[in-house]
Amino acid sequence: MDNRIYVIGRDYAPQFLRLDAGEEVSMTLVFLPGRDAQLSMEVDLVGPGARLDLAGLYLCPGSERVDLQVLVRHASGGSFSRQLFKGIVGGSARATFDGLIYVAPDAQKTEAYQENHSLLLSDTARVESRPQLEIYADDVKCSHGATTGYLNPDELFYLRSRGIPEAEARHLQMQAFLAPVARRLPDALAEEIYASLP
Amino acid sequence: MNKVLLEIKGLRASVEGKEILKGVDLTIGRGEVHAVMGPNGAGKSTLGAVLAGRPTFEVTAGSVLYDGRDLLAMSPEERSWAGLFLSFQYPVEIPGVSITNFMKSAVAARRKAQGLPELTPGEYLKLLKEKMALVQMKGEFARREVNVGFSGGEKKRNEVFQMAMLEPTLSILDETDSGLDVDALRIVAEGVQKLRTPETSAIVITHYQRLLEYIVPDVVHVLKDGRIVRTGGRELVDLIEKEGYESIHG
Repeated sequence: MDNRIYVIGRDYAPQFLRLDAGEEVSMTLVFLPGRDAQLSMEVDLVGPGARLDLAGLYLCPGSERVDLQVLVRHASGGSFSRQLFKGIVGGSARATFDGLIYVAPDAQKTEAYQENHSLLLSDTARVESRPQLEIYADDVKCSHGATTGYLNPDELFYLRSRGIPEAEARHLQMQAFLAPVARRLPDALAEEIYASLP
Repeated sequence: MNKVLLEIKGLRASVEGKEILKGVDLTIGRGEVHAVMGPNGAGKSTLGAVLAGRPTFEVTAGSVLYDGRDLLAMSPEERSWAGLFLSFQYPVEIPGVSITNFMKSAVAARRKAQGLPELTPGEYLKLLKEKMALVQMKGEFARREVNVGFSGGEKKRNEVFQMAMLEPTLSILDETDSGLDVDALRIVAEGVQKLRTPETSAIVITHYQRLLEYIVPDVVHVLKDGRIVRTGGRELVDLIEKEGYESIHG
C-alpha cells in the first residue's frame, strides 16, 4: 500500500476523505518545528473492507502551537482503521489532539484503533489529548490510548554510563520514541526531523 | 601508571534523604578482583551506582580517586571514557534503539574523547562480531532493540558484550549472576574471565558465592548497613556460605 506523506505547511493535506468498499489508504502527517499549525481531517469509511492507516508526528520544541483534530467515521461494517500520533513538545509549546472514532449502529465487525503519545521536554510545555470513542454497534473491536511523559531517566543514565554524551543520549531517546512513525518516512525527511530535535 | 586504581575514602551517599552508604573505605590495586558481598539492602548496588555516577544518589561526604582523578567530579560519560564500566543488575530496555547503533554511538564517543580516529564501518563490524562471539551471541542479536524482549540471561550476556566492546579498566559487576541458570552463568563468567588483564580490575558485587567460583577474587569485603565490616581473602566466602551474614561483624 502506498503511504502518502504530507508535511503540513508544505503539502496540501486532504480535509475530507471517503473510502469505498475495499479501498485502502495509508497516510502520514508531519508537523515540523517552528510553525504553528491547525489541521482537521475527516475520514469516512463507507464500504466493507475499507482500510485507513493513519499516522502523524508533531514536533513542537519551541513555542509552537499545533492543533490537530481527526474524525474517523465507520459507516459500514467490516471496515478497519488504525491511527498512531506521536509528538515531542518542549519549551512553551502547546499541542492539542482531538481524535474521535465514530462507529455507526449497523457497522458491525468494525475494527478501529487509535493511539496518541506525547513526550514533554519541559515543565512549561503543554499537551492536551482527547481521544474519544462513539460506538453504536455491538460487535466491534475498538481501542484508544493516550500517554504523556518525560524522557526516562533510567534509560538516559544507562546510555550515558556507556559513554554516550548526555545531549546525544537524549537525541537517541527521542529518535527511539518517534521511530514507530518515523520509519514510515523517506530517509531524507526522517533525517531532517532528527536534525531538528533540540 | 598508578598502582592503586581506585581509592574510596569515607564515602557517604543518600537517596531521597535516606543515607545508604555510611562511610565506605575501599582501595583497589591494578589487576585485582574484589568481591563485595552482603545481605540485601546493605548498599552493594548503591556503591556501584555511585561509582558510575547515577544522578539519583547524592554523595554527602568522602572522596573517590580513580587513577589519580577525582571520580565524583566526573559525569557518567566521562567515567566511561576513563575506563569505568558498570554491568547493571537490571539492564534497561531501550525500545527503538538497536544494539548496533547503541554501541556505535558509545564506541564513537569514547574514541573521540580519547583523540582516536573514527572506526570505518568495516572495522566496527569486525569488532562487533568478535565481541559477540565472546558471549556466544548470534548475528541477529546486533539488530535487536536494546534489551527489549530479552530473557534474564540474554540481558546479562548483553551487559558482558558491552563490557567487551568498551574494554574497561575497572569493571563493576552488579549482581551479574542473579537470575541466571547454570549455562548462562558459565557463559557470562567465562566472558568476564577472558576480558581480565594484569592492568584491569573488577568489583564483583554479589549476594551468593556461585559467581565467585568462576571469577576468583583476590580480596573479599562484606558490606553491612552501609559500611564494610570485614575484609579478607577467599576464606571469607566459605565462612559466609557456612554461617551466613548474621555472624559476620566488624
